[in-house]
Amino acid sequence: MPVERRRHFREKVWLTWLALALLLAWGCRGLHLDFGYIREKLPFLLGLRLAPDGFIQGAALTIFVTSAAMVCALAVALLTAAGRLSNNPFAFAVATFYASLFRGTPLLVQVLIIYLALPQIGIVLGALSSGLIALSLNYGAYLAETIRSGVMAVPAGQREAALALGLPRWVITWKIVAPQALRLIIPPAGALFVSMLKDSSLVSIMGLWELNFLAQSYARSTFRYMEMLLAAALVYWALSIVFELVQLRLERRFGRGIPVVIGR
Amino acid sequence: MRGVFLILALYFCVPAVWAGPTLDRVRRTGVVTDVLITQYPPFGFIDADNQVAGVDVDAARAFAARLGARLNIETPSWESIVSGHWQGRWDVCICSMTPTAERAQVLSFPAQYYSSPAVLVVHRDDTRIQSVADISGKRVGVGSGSSYEKYIDRSLRIPGAAPLAFPFHDVIGVPGDETINFRNLALGPGVRLDAIISSLATAKTASDSMHTLKILEPVLYREPSRVATEKGDPDWDQTVASTIAALKADGTLAKISQKWLGTDVTADAR
Repeated sequence: MPVERRRHFREKVWLTWLALALLLAWGCRGLHLDFGYIREKLPFLLGLRLAPDGFIQGAALTIFVTSAAMVCALAVALLTAAGRLSNNPFAFAVATFYASLFRGTPLLVQVLIIYLALPQIGIVLGALSSGLIALSLNYGAYLAETIRSGVMAVPAGQREAALALGLPRWVITWKIVAPQALRLIIPPAGALFVSMLKDSSLVSIMGLWELNFLAQSYARSTFRYMEMLLAAALVYWALSIVFELVQLRLERRFGRGIPVVIGR
Repeated sequence: MRGVFLILALYFCVPAVWAGPTLDRVRRTGVVTDVLITQYPPFGFIDADNQVAGVDVDAARAFAARLGARLNIETPSWESIVSGHWQGRWDVCICSMTPTAERAQVLSFPAQYYSSPAVLVVHRDDTRIQSVADISGKRVGVGSGSSYEKYIDRSLRIPGAAPLAFPFHDVIGVPGDETINFRNLALGPGVRLDAIISSLATAKTASDSMHTLKILEPVLYREPSRVATEKGDPDWDQTVASTIAALKADGTLAKISQKWLGTDVTADAR
């Protein structure tokens, strides 16, 4: 596409974003928000200060929970995808059973079972551990399917050609299959992580002082409900945008050599 | 997969507490872990300095000080607390809990530290509802899992108290979040809700900030707020009861009540 047309396209995109944002702000005008209260609570919501028990809180805790769960989910997903693609019937069965169980039940139920039911059989987990395990296991199951589909989408000829060249197995996996699969895995995986960011609010039911917990508590302490809900929503949105930007960079990196579609 | 789960489970079990008699644990560690709700002003909430505050917090501090233990406060969801089976996670709940027959199956209630009037709240412009007898067939908001839910259901029995009268029938209960219920009632009489039943203190906080609500006289009933513990440690229950009795006797509870509510609701504490 000519450079000139591309620039025009971008300008129009930004102007439309601006117009929509202004429209949204104008819509919120009718709510008679108390901005002083939002300003007063924002440093706590963002987690710029520590909670009374000395632990991180607010958005900082949300980011911590999400990042930690992301790493664990990735490890779980790689193992599950490997089991799913394996010829071993036992590994295949364990992987599919796990994926089916955790994709087929609500995350809220999983959180509650891990936090409330496990103690009854003698395993008493802390709030943070329970939340991390629930998020990791739930998202690990989804991510495993994403990884599996990415790997399967790499044409069989690629692997065959590499085998014909006599490359060792790990080289085929890491240098031939993985880079091509990653290009397909990153967009849906990015979407999963954005969704996990917001689902991390479920750990508030175990009393972790993350963004959603603080917003709800402040809202109820003063009945300034809309202020706190909108402030929390905006912070989640801002964090999601950061996640999306990271995803975009990764997409570009792994999409090198592939024609760029308009708008990217 | 299984291996990974086991390793994860073992790893995360390290900081866990294994069940044991509560009194022994408190004596051994010198720490008493209290649970409370941060969404129930003025009993438990997060104040301007981002600290937990309120009647329950002050009562818990006095309780721990009297025991000579350090206080540790945790803030899990109400449902996690009332479902019992704490398995040593928490020692005591000074969290404005009303005993019910169901709750008494999984929790002990060794001491009463205040009693809270339940009131009927309507919209300022409501002309249909003059008393609780008028709520038959109406949509009434109640906190989900609360004793008010049982009250409109005509099934509330307060252990150790005289049976309540229920001068209404076929009430449409709308269990939900109390804050959201109050906002819904403020929209107008009958828009989403016709009335709300809640504690007087909650109703006052709500009507002070929304100005469109009306708290009806008289009080419906007084529900005892008792300290809850996990079932199965009579020695600990004994300790809790005598500690609360001491706090009542020396006027500490009355002082806390005056500070937050401007009135003494601890008269029938025992």
